[in-house]
Amino acid sequence: MLEVNRKMVWKGTKTGLQTTWELAKVVVPTAMVVAVFRASGTLDIITAFFAPYMGHFGLSGEAAVVLFSGYFVNLYAAAGSIMALNLTVREITICAVMLGFCHSLLVELPISQKAGSPLGYIFLIRLSCSLAVGWLLGVFLP
Amino acid sequence: MAFGGVSTMSILWEGFVQGMRGLWTVALIVIPLMVVLEIADSNGLLKRLNRLMAKPFRVIGLREEGAFPVVVAIVFGITYGSGVIINHVRTGKVTRKEARVVGTFMALAHALIEDTVIFWVLGAPLLLLLAPRVILAYIMSYLVYRWTPETNSSDGDDLKAVN
Repeated sequence: MLEVNRKMVWKGTKTGLQTTWELAKVVVPTAMVVAVFRASGTLDIITAFFAPYMGHFGLSGEAAVVLFSGYFVNLYAAAGSIMALNLTVREITICAVMLGFCHSLLVELPISQKAGSPLGYIFLIRLSCSLAVGWLLGVFLP
Repeated sequence: MAFGGVSTMSILWEGFVQGMRGLWTVALIVIPLMVVLEIADSNGLLKRLNRLMAKPFRVIGLREEGAFPVVVAIVFGITYGSGVIINHVRTGKVTRKEARVVGTFMALAHALIEDTVIFWVLGAPLLLLLAPRVILAYIMSYLVYRWTPETNSSDGDDLKAVN
């Protein structure tokens, strides 16, 4: 029923390799930056500052780094941060779901605008969904 | 420069190794996934998916022309979905109100395969990665559909694919 030929496999592999390369360009430097943050004590300062706010979402202060890299840069940067930090699976899950709604804002908000929706409106909808679902998960996720 | 006796180089190296290890895990899934996606697309499964989704999309005020950009955005990402919707608005295939509904849906739920895989590989459960996005996107676009007046205008613009 499905037709499979070499051209499709090659094209798919090429797309996959491209994605992996795009991923590498962000994930690896981010993991390195976060490693430096940790060694230099900067991470402790960020963690201490955000710990009280992160608590609302059932997250530790460290997770603020994941959320910020995801919100402003992209999901690969968030993944890089996750790899360099010691978060629990529960925390990774909460961050992941929150970031699903709201990420890569610097790139994607202008795209949404070009597709005919006001920037501020899309920003509000994405951030509020992210925060609301994060809060729900923080309360209800076992 | 040194942090508590540990050299900067070894710290950078540690981060590099962590990043590469994570990257390897993701590549092992992303590459086969893209092959499967390409085969599915070449066999017209995307069109069939679009027909399947036509009915639930009618509830939020989208005809088949309006549902198509959403399907594209869900599978390939917001940039591609936006490209289609801009084109559709220009050629009059969708109204501006439909564009707004599509924009809302796309903003919340797009690149569902790629985005989901990234965090699924890192240990987050599949259902939690997918269900909240789709459900909230649906609810929000329904609200937009109900509350947006038919005459509301918005600007579509040319767009080049960003990624």
